[in-house]
Amino acid sequence: MTLWDLTQGASAKVSRFKSSIESGYRTRLSELGFHPGEQIACVMSPSMGAPKLYRVNNTVYSLDDSIASLIEVA
Amino acid sequence: MSSTQASRIALIGSPNSGKSLLFNRLTGLNQKVANFPGITVNIASGQSLHDSSIQYLDFPGVYSMQAISGEEKVAVEAFISALEDNLLDAVVCVVDSTRLEKGLIFALQVLETCHRYNKPVLIAANMVDVLDQHSMQFDASGLSEALKVSVLPLSAKTGAGLEQISQSLADTTVPPEKFQSDIIASDDSVNHLHAQELAEKYGPRGDLLINTQTRLDSFFLHSWFGGLSFLVIMYLLFQSIFTWAAPAMDGVEASIQWLASVVLPLIPAGVASDFTSDALFGGIGAFLVFVPQIFVLTLVVGMLEDSGYLARAAVICHKPLRFFGLTGKSFIPMLSGVACAIPGVYAARTVESTRKRWLTYLAIPLMPCSARLPVYSLIIAAFIPAQKAMGGLVGWQGLAMFAIYLFGILCALLVTALVSRSNAELRTDLPFVLEMPPYRLPSWRPLIINAWNRSKHFVTKAGKVIFAVTVVIWVLGYFPNYGTSLGDSWLGTMGQWIEPLFAPFGLDWRYGVAILSSFLAREVFVGTLGTMFGIEGAEENFTSLAQQIQDSGLPLGAGAALLVFFAIALQCVSTLAVLQRETGSWRLPLQLFISYSIFAYTAALAVFHLVELLV
Ligand SMILES: Nc1nc2c(ncn2[C@@H]2O[C@H](COP(=O)(O)OP(=O)(O)OP(=O)(O)O)[C@@H](O)[C@H]2O)c(=O)[nH]1
Ligand SMILES: [Mg+2]
Repeated sequence: MTLWDLTQGASAKVSRFKSSIESGYRTRLSELGFHPGEQIACVMSPSMGAPKLYRVNNTVYSLDDSIASLIEVA
Repeated sequence: MSSTQASRIALIGSPNSGKSLLFNRLTGLNQKVANFPGITVNIASGQSLHDSSIQYLDFPGVYSMQAISGEEKVAVEAFISALEDNLLDAVVCVVDSTRLEKGLIFALQVLETCHRYNKPVLIAANMVDVLDQHSMQFDASGLSEALKVSVLPLSAKTGAGLEQISQSLADTTVPPEKFQSDIIASDDSVNHLHAQELAEKYGPRGDLLINTQTRLDSFFLHSWFGGLSFLVIMYLLFQSIFTWAAPAMDGVEASIQWLASVVLPLIPAGVASDFTSDALFGGIGAFLVFVPQIFVLTLVVGMLEDSGYLARAAVICHKPLRFFGLTGKSFIPMLSGVACAIPGVYAARTVESTRKRWLTYLAIPLMPCSARLPVYSLIIAAFIPAQKAMGGLVGWQGLAMFAIYLFGILCALLVTALVSRSNAELRTDLPFVLEMPPYRLPSWRPLIINAWNRSKHFVTKAGKVIFAVTVVIWVLGYFPNYGTSLGDSWLGTMGQWIEPLFAPFGLDWRYGVAILSSFLAREVFVGTLGTMFGIEGAEENFTSLAQQIQDSGLPLGAGAALLVFFAIALQCVSTLAVLQRETGSWRLPLQLFISYSIFAYTAALAVFHLVELLV
């Protein structure tokens, strides 16, 4: 399952990044808090494919499918 | 660094951590502050209010020393080279204490960097007023002990803790090496775990902040309410330009009339009196009337920026904008472009992808900027009655303004959609990752100051150009026959040459001259036209320019053509120059200038014929 598959209100731990992710983005995402082992909650999943809102610690980020589907969660 | 020189202190930190507000507090200057990550794009410097030997530098926000976006690269490179050249005496690293972990990840990188360059670092834990509100606390001295540098809790908003900054700066030290080698390997994950551990140990507990934020988000990003509120907010933005500014505009107009009625009788009839009445009151006056609108527009856009709503608007717009080849991040530069293309072009640095940024540049000059506002208002006032429908809720003029604004935006989207589809490379998407700032009640004071400065800038900067052009136009239009016949003046003769260019869409040579002069800056149009009508009109009384246009019997189709022409043409030397600076070459600005001129001309022609056909 990937982060993008999380439904609104659900949360899960990041397990790993897919290998197709660009390394610059992988670094950035871990700096923002999206790194293996971290608990992520999907706080808002707007309709019509708009980027979803994910909460890491006390910060909320919005990620679109192109990146959220590269983060695997369990 | 010698001690006689001012000591220079850099303010750095994550985006939206409050560096600029802190900088403004410390220096008394007015750097733009907004509740959106990535607002500051240039480094500002200013002297401390309390200690003239201290100079503060406000840096753009960065998430990491490993930059990925254009603005970050600029900031990181500038920071490193300032350290290398020994230009900095100390570094203040601003972290948002309500989001300590995120701030600390970057702070640890800063400590590491400053250790290498042997610079003392002070951690400014900002926004403690928010913690106080929720009766939360964090352990600054514990954190300070762990990091081995001073940690000062403060609030850039209330000013709490600010008085201690000089003392803390004096007390703090260069981050020690032992600490570095122990914990911070340059491995990011270690860095991250460490930040997490520190935040857990010393940071505030609880998540009250997030709950209100989530409630508001579930409204503003709701499938129905979200889209609807977006449209309502945008619509109110345009209505406010008319309804809120109207009394002030009437006031300015009345004052100019009053001043004219007092001053003109004092000047003996002749060249001087004609000049005062035509060029000063007619030309400059016609332009001053629109300044209140620019004030209101800047204020309302600023309010939106500071509320935190814009980041949500970017989320809402991401999918639709992607269809047009852009990204949700293009929304902010484009909306800034509604105030002025220049900050819009700068704001486009936050678009990380070079290609998407380039497409955003194509869109910005088509966004209905405030310099177009005077032209639009003038034409709309001349053609559309000032009546209201639905119990005053809908003003026809406001509606017309909304329509022409929408037209500009649609043109922008059309261009990016076509261009991005013409080239497979431009279609590729980069991921969208955007921090959602908390919702905040806008702080009025800085917003009003910003709107005031912008209006002042408009008057002084544009005013100079307008004055110069107005004088030239007046001289050419007044001589050699002393204003008895504009058509036979030098200007009139020149006008005959260019008349064929604009005649196809129903405009006579006077409008042609005004359009050509407006290629310097759009607002010049109003001043130029005002001067020419001033020379022509024999009456001593000052009548509004819109009234004069109405009386001159300009056909509706020509008015519409004018609107369309101004909506598209890139008549702004400053925008071209800024585009050149940001892209590093004249290629893009020249291409845009030429193609948008052709586009504007053709569209104006089409609209003229369409309207003439229908009416
Ligand atoms: N409540 C509160 N709000 C603050 C404080 N400091 C800054 N803000 C708000 O936080 C937002 C961001 O402030 P800025 O000063 O623009 O942040 P910045 O770090 O310069 O941001 P960038 O230039 O984008 O990197 C604005 O809405 C400020 O009003 C504070 O101490 N308390
Ligand atoms: Mg700033």
